[in-house]
Amino acid sequence: MLLDKMTPLERMAAYNKGEAIDRLPCNPNIANGASRVIGCKISEFKGNGKLIAKAQIEAYRKFGYDGVRIFTDLYVQAEAMGATVHYPLDDTANLETPPIKDVSEIDQLQPADPNKDGHLPAHLEAAKILIDELGQEVSCAGGIVGPFTNAFFLIGIEKMTKLIIKNPEAVHKLCEVSLETCIRYADAFIKLGLAPTISEPMSSTTMISPKQFREFSFPYLKRLIDFIHQRGKAVTLHVCGKTENIWVDMVASGANCLSIDNVASLSRCKNKVGDQVRIMGNVDPSSVMYDGTVQEVRQATLECVKQAYDNPKGYIICSGCSLPIDTPFANIQAMMDTAREIGYPVNIEALEHMKSSTL
Amino acid sequence: MVQTKEQLFRALSDAVVEMEEEKTVTISNAIIEAGIDAYEAIEKGLADGMNRAGQLYEEEEYFIPELLICSDAMYAGLDILKLHLKSNEAGIKNIVVIGVVEGDTHDIGKNLVKIMIETAGFEVIDLGRDIPPQDFVEKAKEVNAKIIALSTLMTTSMEGMREVVALLKKEKLQDRIKVIVGGGPISQGFANRIGADGYAANASDAAKLALKLIAGGVV
Repeated sequence: MLLDKMTPLERMAAYNKGEAIDRLPCNPNIANGASRVIGCKISEFKGNGKLIAKAQIEAYRKFGYDGVRIFTDLYVQAEAMGATVHYPLDDTANLETPPIKDVSEIDQLQPADPNKDGHLPAHLEAAKILIDELGQEVSCAGGIVGPFTNAFFLIGIEKMTKLIIKNPEAVHKLCEVSLETCIRYADAFIKLGLAPTISEPMSSTTMISPKQFREFSFPYLKRLIDFIHQRGKAVTLHVCGKTENIWVDMVASGANCLSIDNVASLSRCKNKVGDQVRIMGNVDPSSVMYDGTVQEVRQATLECVKQAYDNPKGYIICSGCSLPIDTPFANIQAMMDTAREIGYPVNIEALEHMKSSTL
Repeated sequence: MVQTKEQLFRALSDAVVEMEEEKTVTISNAIIEAGIDAYEAIEKGLADGMNRAGQLYEEEEYFIPELLICSDAMYAGLDILKLHLKSNEAGIKNIVVIGVVEGDTHDIGKNLVKIMIETAGFEVIDLGRDIPPQDFVEKAKEVNAKIIALSTLMTTSMEGMREVVALLKKEKLQDRIKVIVGGGPISQGFANRIGADGYAANASDAAKLALKLIAGGVV
């Protein structure tokens, strides 16, 4: 097995300066799957910052990937604003009841206090442990759900979806209070030294139109990113699903790195916006990483690198979204090993040779 | 103004596509008052409108918000027209049992598939979300369903789909009841591996798939 010669922080710093590195940065994007590394149930993460941190730290130590993140599910911010969240024994949480049911109640919504409300304090405790433990060797991130997506969880997903057409003003009000929570949560992560990353799945054009994205999501996303930039941190933005028709807008929001889904094309993204933004992605987390063989992971990783290694603003090998919980360790290892095998600088002929040969 | 049957059907279809719920109700009532066949109005008006909306979604003219409002309009019309359906027409319909498999509570995708399959002329029994495999099989047997449609957004719930197929095999029902699967993490490859009869990438494909399975005489 090949070993890394640089720490992730050394690698990223050198890569950013265009200096020599040992391999491309690679982040398989393990989320709650970190529970499998320490052998705990996912529901044990609930309100337990120490355990969340322990799982992330040990998962990082096991695989040596290029970014760790505190993020358990999409609902922590909504929960801190009054939503009820269902925690299955050993699966990712989901939304049970939003804090309000009707637009007439919007004024009752209050932005969350990250040091007090819901499980945000536990997440911040995890963040503190994470950066104390790993801050000298790997980039530590705090996962934030973007303002538009979080707004869906404040009044209910179906209701919010209809409001986009029936009551645009209500959508803006929901996004506004949602944004304030996002800003406070981002601020709390930054104070601890972590860089916020933003997940905005509802902004996908699988859900809404590019026009709706520009009207309802973009203004709040941009304000959040402007805030994070003012505080001196770069931002990675992940939007699930189709995004091609909003890449230009995602760049205009100020994101420094776009993390794209496997339904989007890395090479097209590179050609369209790669001169302005770093790209990460997009091995299929489900049919390849979870359900595929080691050989399929290797092939998919090679294909991604082939498409995006020469992105002008840089490229990070990654899955198209957070990995399913029970993704085999062997497949996560295979992505890392393939990144190490490719090395740097990427030699496209050698890469083609690797693609045509099996291990 | 006197309108022909075809004009009314077209207006009903347009009202659905244009997300006009009140207009859909008004026209549905006018259709009943004129003594026009409700089944035909559902098929050529409401379903046609929903099909056109689905087409617009495929063409990326419409997105999920538009589809949900169109379906609200369609259901408002359906609530009126279905009271006037003659029973034999409902009886000849093929039945689909649909639900989100156990461990998953995401149901927007399932709801869209349900709407599209209904508009394709099926009677749909919706079990809801977080449904154990055994329940799908029991219900399908009870109502003599031709198809079980399974949805999940979560990889952890995918195994429940395999379980449904296995249960049908165990009871030797796999020739009588077909299984179709879909949802974010599901692929044709996964459908093949678990022995499902079909996979659809989106709601309108799911409706086409269900029609194909019935028309092909495989169920």
